[in-house]
Amino acid sequence: MTILRRLASIASWILRRDRAEQQLDDEIRSFVEMSTAERVEEGIPPAEARRLALAEIGGVERIKERVRMGRHGALLDDLGRDVRYAFRLVARQRTFTAVIVATLALGIGANTAIFSILDGLLLRTLPIEHPERLAQLVAAPPSEQDSWTYPIWHEIQRHSVRFDGAFVWTGPDAEFDLSTGGESRFVNGVWASAGAFAVLGVRPVLGRLFEPSDDIRGGGSSGPVVVISHAFWQTYFSGTRDVIGRTLTLERVPLTIVGVTPRGFFGVVAGRSFDVVVPLGVEPLIRGSESRLDRRTSWWLQVFVRLKPGQSREAAAAVMQTLKPGIREATLPPTRPGRNNDRYLADPFTLVDAERGPSSRLREGYSRPLLVLMVVVGLVLLIACANIANLLLARATARHHEWSVRLALGATPGRLARQLMIESLLLAAIGAAAGVFVADSGSRLLIAQLASDSVSLELPLDARMLAFTAGVALIAALVFGVAPAWRATRGVPIDAMKDRGRVSGASASTPLANGLVLVQVALSLVLLIGAGLFLRSFNGLTRVPLGFEGDRVLLTVIDARRADLAPSARLATYERIHERVLAIPGVEHAAVSITAPLGEMWIRRIEVSGSPLRGSDAPGVGPEGFGSTDRPIPANAPLAVFNGITSGWIATFGTPLLAGRDISRNDATGSPRVALVNQAFARKFLGGANPVGHTMHATREPGAPIEIVGLVADAVYRDIREATLPTAYVPLPQSVDRSLVEDPNMTAPAVITLSVRPTSGQPSLLTKGVAAAISEVNPTLALTFEPLDRRVSETLTRERLLAILSAAFGVLALVMASIGLYGVTSYAVSLRRTEIGIRMALGAARSAVIGLVLRRVALLVAGGLVVGLAVAVWVSRFVATLLYGLQPRDPLTILAASATLALIAAVAGWLPAHHASRLDPTQVLRDG
Amino acid sequence: MKKTTDVHRGTLALMVLKTLDVLGPLHGYGLARRIEQISKDGLTLNTGTLYPLLLRLEQEGAITSERRPSENNRSARFYRLTRAGRKQLEAETRAWEQTTAQISRFFAVKAKDLP
Repeated sequence: MTILRRLASIASWILRRDRAEQQLDDEIRSFVEMSTAERVEEGIPPAEARRLALAEIGGVERIKERVRMGRHGALLDDLGRDVRYAFRLVARQRTFTAVIVATLALGIGANTAIFSILDGLLLRTLPIEHPERLAQLVAAPPSEQDSWTYPIWHEIQRHSVRFDGAFVWTGPDAEFDLSTGGESRFVNGVWASAGAFAVLGVRPVLGRLFEPSDDIRGGGSSGPVVVISHAFWQTYFSGTRDVIGRTLTLERVPLTIVGVTPRGFFGVVAGRSFDVVVPLGVEPLIRGSESRLDRRTSWWLQVFVRLKPGQSREAAAAVMQTLKPGIREATLPPTRPGRNNDRYLADPFTLVDAERGPSSRLREGYSRPLLVLMVVVGLVLLIACANIANLLLARATARHHEWSVRLALGATPGRLARQLMIESLLLAAIGAAAGVFVADSGSRLLIAQLASDSVSLELPLDARMLAFTAGVALIAALVFGVAPAWRATRGVPIDAMKDRGRVSGASASTPLANGLVLVQVALSLVLLIGAGLFLRSFNGLTRVPLGFEGDRVLLTVIDARRADLAPSARLATYERIHERVLAIPGVEHAAVSITAPLGEMWIRRIEVSGSPLRGSDAPGVGPEGFGSTDRPIPANAPLAVFNGITSGWIATFGTPLLAGRDISRNDATGSPRVALVNQAFARKFLGGANPVGHTMHATREPGAPIEIVGLVADAVYRDIREATLPTAYVPLPQSVDRSLVEDPNMTAPAVITLSVRPTSGQPSLLTKGVAAAISEVNPTLALTFEPLDRRVSETLTRERLLAILSAAFGVLALVMASIGLYGVTSYAVSLRRTEIGIRMALGAARSAVIGLVLRRVALLVAGGLVVGLAVAVWVSRFVATLLYGLQPRDPLTILAASATLALIAAVAGWLPAHHASRLDPTQVLRDG
Repeated sequence: MKKTTDVHRGTLALMVLKTLDVLGPLHGYGLARRIEQISKDGLTLNTGTLYPLLLRLEQEGAITSERRPSENNRSARFYRLTRAGRKQLEAETRAWEQTTAQISRFFAVKAKDLP
């Protein structure tokens, strides 16, 4: 039969359903009438004849149902009927529905929220045309270097026709100061080559994006220009359309706004957003003498190419490789004594997939925590589903009579199961709809928490998210709907005849419900152990001895790069600021330093007298210099971190001096060179011996050796999580590293940190006084204030978030599991009411009844704990890298979690047990 | 009560078509009785089987039905073979005859008949 005909048949049946039903009635009636008539003719009395005819035909409704099932479109019709029925039921049982929908909304919402962040950060491709054709230029492994110098980019750009374009998009890590003096107001900036937008395929919502002429040094025909993001346009310029042509001052340099990028375009780094995009050619204007355009040793650009349609990444990489020798030759950095450029020339050019943007610290730092959270919310939803399944099973008992009647009337078990599945699906759908709202606010809240890690994610509620939510809801419906539906297929029609209260089949649901509770207990234990591990890990991190008093110091980053201050006058200015600040009432100590804890890192290769560690170009030795890096410092390399400080540093930070003397005002530019070192330094270079009296010198820097005059206690330098770095403190006036600076007149770096310690009270209360004092000395300096404890706490964002969320979900799981346990135990007690009544009538003590009930609970909980422990031990190794100072199988945590769960479970089980022991035997026996 | 013999699946449809072919339009009750008669009372037709089958055949277009007065002036639905139904009957009859011929040859076979 053709499909068309079948469709017509379905349509006609739906349209003429009433007539078809009428026909069916007529058919059966005429059958009975004819059958009766024939028997009457045979001489049987009419009443008896009719009875026989009816007996012959059997169940009329059953026949009708079979005919209905045979009709085309019957399934559709039944489904419609089931859905309507499900709606009526859901609407009638308000409390029941509300509890389930709320549970599901939380469970599904949490899943969608975490997934949306996971998706935005890890999975989603870039919001550009053909993201699959984007590739990033990196040096081959193992160096994994992904930044390039401007001269190299300049060469690559000349060959960009070999691809479908190449461009630079670096950042957003440049922070541009919008202010014209005093406290800084930073925006996130990106350096981009002129072709970036064209190659990415991004079109402006307003004005224009870059043209080749914008990328000319010092600005093209339109002068220095800038493109702003949609978000920045909305917040800073309130979205006015006349923003084009206006001036935006970045780092005291006026730039002309030429265009606005479209909404939702965040560049190429997922999870980061930019405010402004500045052409590379404008860089010399903004960075002045520190411009990196001509430096062949400044690795700061990220280079991308777009593959031609049909060009494979391998083919493009091969092209790159053929270009490499020429490019390398043309961009050779100046050689230093004792070094050559062999490695520079040898390092290959490779292309890596950049469909989702380059790998970033953000992505690497959060991918595992997000996956862990995804698993956590998945488990929470599973526990919620188990609870709902138990609720449905309990209600199934209440509806047992209804089903028996329906079975007796000719409904098939499959039909009942389908009806129940539809009810489950409907509940899940309503829960998912509510969950979307939970997810929306939940993910926003989470992103706000991550703001200190400057995470910025657009989380659109698009088809992708809705599909995920629908998928989760469907799975949830299957998980909690299958058990009750399966139960329904086991109903027995004969039960319809029995009294409602004495349904034998009902007890069949308890093994299932018990199994569900066992699973709940097991999963809750896993979540509790996880929460315990993360909480203890975070707690451990907050208790790490910092080596300084974080809550007593206000940091002020002073930036002189754009200020009216000659490099030769910097040191004197900083010293004047130091004196002025010390004169502020309420200031106890103050110091000026090149860097501050948890800030930039200054690392040097050194030689220490009497130390076996010697300078060598051993492979794996990290780079010297100044900046921020995550790379570990090899224990066998003669590397140490440095800081240049003024007198008062150790008093300001509260780091104890253990031996020798502090740095004083007398350690000036021309005086003998001295240094303080910490205990880690002494351990690394001198095997823990007292370092005072030893000398050292930086391998690369000529000049007199530095005498170690004091030993200070270990203090955190870069990261709370790592072992203390070997640190040396040198006087600020003696700290200019001639090998790093190009201006011979420079007396101190352009960016320094002023640390202030108040005599009492909140360090941040000093902000105004400090700002005023600095402004008295030089009003053009750019200032950023930050209490040290905030800097400390912000480095723990990831751990804090993981601890809070896993604890919250762990508690939620615990609550749900105990509700499940309570429900199942109460139900079991209600089934055994008669038995318990008889036992009590026969003289069983209350305690015996409680014991009877609690034994079951204990069995369930013990089973759950065993399963949960096994699972926890198995999965714990996946979180090992997220823990600090803790083994993933930390026995104390496991014990505490198990004990907590057992205690809560005991309470949840004791309540119904207690209730059972209060039963009045006479009452029970009378009720039967 | 008569002893019930199970009808081979698919054969009932053939019986209905053949009965309608031989006797012309019939109502449901008549059809049931005729089939029982023809099969020499060895078969009780379950109404629960007959009506779904009639519906299926009608949906397939093998039979069609209309209301008209029956022999004793009761209004009843009469089923009639369509042209497509007749073709189907012929095809199925041929197939059935072939099958039975095959099967009987197998039943008739003895060891000595085989080389």
